[in-house]
Amino acid sequence: MKVLAWRLGILVAILVAWEAAVAPLNPMFYIPPSALPGALVRMWRVPELPALGEHVWLTFKEIAGAYTLAVAAGLWLGFLLGLRRTVGRIYEPLLAALYAVPSVIWYPSLMLFFGLGPASKIAFGVLLGFFPIVLSVLAGIRQVPATLVTVARSMGARPWTVFSKVMLPAMASTMVGGLRAGLALSVVGVLVGEILGSRAGVGYVINYAYGLMMTREYAVLALIAAAAVLAVDTAGALLEARVKRWAG
Amino acid sequence: MTLPYNARMPDGAATPTPSPIVLEAIGKRYETASGAVQAVGSVSLTVGAEEFVTLLGPSGCGKSTVLGMIAGLVPPDAGRVLVHGAPCAGPNPEKVALVFQDGGLFPWRTALDNVTFGLELRGVPAAKRREIARGLLEPMGLRGFEQKYPRELSGGMRQRVAIARALALDTPILLMDEPFGALDEQTRLLMGEWLVGIRRRARKTVVFVTHSLHEAIALSDRIVVMTARPGRIKDVIDVTLPFPRDLNAPEVTDLRAKLWDQVREESLKAMGSPP
Repeated sequence: MKVLAWRLGILVAILVAWEAAVAPLNPMFYIPPSALPGALVRMWRVPELPALGEHVWLTFKEIAGAYTLAVAAGLWLGFLLGLRRTVGRIYEPLLAALYAVPSVIWYPSLMLFFGLGPASKIAFGVLLGFFPIVLSVLAGIRQVPATLVTVARSMGARPWTVFSKVMLPAMASTMVGGLRAGLALSVVGVLVGEILGSRAGVGYVINYAYGLMMTREYAVLALIAAAAVLAVDTAGALLEARVKRWAG
Repeated sequence: MTLPYNARMPDGAATPTPSPIVLEAIGKRYETASGAVQAVGSVSLTVGAEEFVTLLGPSGCGKSTVLGMIAGLVPPDAGRVLVHGAPCAGPNPEKVALVFQDGGLFPWRTALDNVTFGLELRGVPAAKRREIARGLLEPMGLRGFEQKYPRELSGGMRQRVAIARALALDTPILLMDEPFGALDEQTRLLMGEWLVGIRRRARKTVVFVTHSLHEAIALSDRIVVMTARPGRIKDVIDVTLPFPRDLNAPEVTDLRAKLWDQVREESLKAMGSPP
C-alpha cells in the first residue's frame, strides 16, 4: 500500500515536472501532458480514419495470432532440438547465429512475401517472439537435474512420464521466462511492422499522426501503446513469479 | 513405535529362495572425451536376504556404478546382475528402491507428494497413496511437515523424506548411495542410528554406499572394501557386533584401524600417489 502510494506520487511528480519543463518550449514538439486527453478525443474523430477501436482490435488480433504461432513453433522446435541430441547439435548453432542478426532486416522480405496486410505483421511478430521461446526451451531442457530423471526412471517411469512429471516441471520457470519475453517481442514485432508499412492497426495510426505532424495525437498513441505493452508484460511477470515460486 | 508400513515378511515356502542380489563378475567402462575409463573391474558378490552390505571405498572407485547396475539404471558391459534369481534388465521398482546422495527430491512437490511419487506411477488411488505416505512420514518425525516443500526442510529432514519415498515402494531391496553424505557429522550419526532401527523393523536387504568408516561400522552386517578405479573388491569383512553399536568399543576401534589401513591405501592410489 505504501509502495503504491509512493509510485502514484512519483507518477504525479513526473507529470508536473514534465508540464513545467515544456511550458516555455515550442508546443509542437514539446507536448505538455495536459494536452494529451484532448488529443485522444480528437483522434477518435479523425474523419478519414476508421474509429480507433477498430485499429486497436485489429492489432490485438494480430498480436494474438503472432504469439500463438510463435509459441507453437518455439515449443515444437525447442523440444525437437533439445530432446534429439544429434539434431540439436546440428541446428542449435544455426539458431543462435540467426538470433544474433537484428530481425528488422528481414521485415522488407516479409512484406514482399506476405503483402501489406496483417499477414506480414503476424509473420514479423512470430519471427521476433519465436527466438526467446525456442532458446528458453533448449536452456530449460539442459537445466533438468539428471538425478531427478534417474529417480523417476528407477521408480519405473516411462519416457513420457519422465517428460511430463519431471522434465516439464523442472524446466517450467526457465520456459515461462522465455514465453514472457516472447510475448513482449511479439507485441513489438506487430507494432513495428505496422509502423514500417501498413494500412490499418495501432502502428498505422501512430505513423499517420506522425506523418501529418499531429504530434499531440502521436504522443498520446505512443503512450497508450507503451502502457498496453507494459500491462501485458506485468501480467507475464506475475505469472512467471507464480510459476517460479511453485517450481522452486 | 509401530511399523512404518507393511513390512514384507519372508514367505514360508519350503523351496530355498534365491539370494536377493547376485553379482556375477560385473564390469563397466565409460567412454569419455579423453578415452575409455574402466569404472568397475570385475565385481562378484552375493547379498543374502535381510543383509546390510556396505560398499566402502575412495571417491570415484565405482561404488555408485555398482549400485546403478543393481538398480538396472546402468547396464553392465561384462557379467550379469541377478535380482531374486532373475537377470536384471532395466529398473525394477517392484523389487528395488533407491535413495540418492543429494536426496533427489522434486522441488515442486511437497514432502507428501514426493513420497507418493512412486505410488502415483503404480496407479495407486490418491487417497490410498496419501495414507501410505502419512504413515511413513509420521514415525520419521515429519508430522506437520507433509505440506512443506523440500527447500523449507533441513538437510536431515529432506533425506528422511527421500528415504520415505523409497520405502513407500515397499520393495524387499533398498539401495542407498551415500544417503547421508551431504549432512553434518552429528546429523549423520543420528540418521545412522535411526536407519538401524528402521531397517530391523522393515526387514530389508540393503546395499549401502559410503566412504565413511564410522557409518560402515555402525550400520553393516558386512563391509565390502573396494579398490581405487577400476573398482574391484579388495576385502570383505563381516561385522558381527550387536546393534546398537558402541563406536568406542575396543572391537570397533580395532576394526576401524583395519579398515582405515585398507581404505587409506586405495585412497592414496585414487589420489595418484604411491602407497
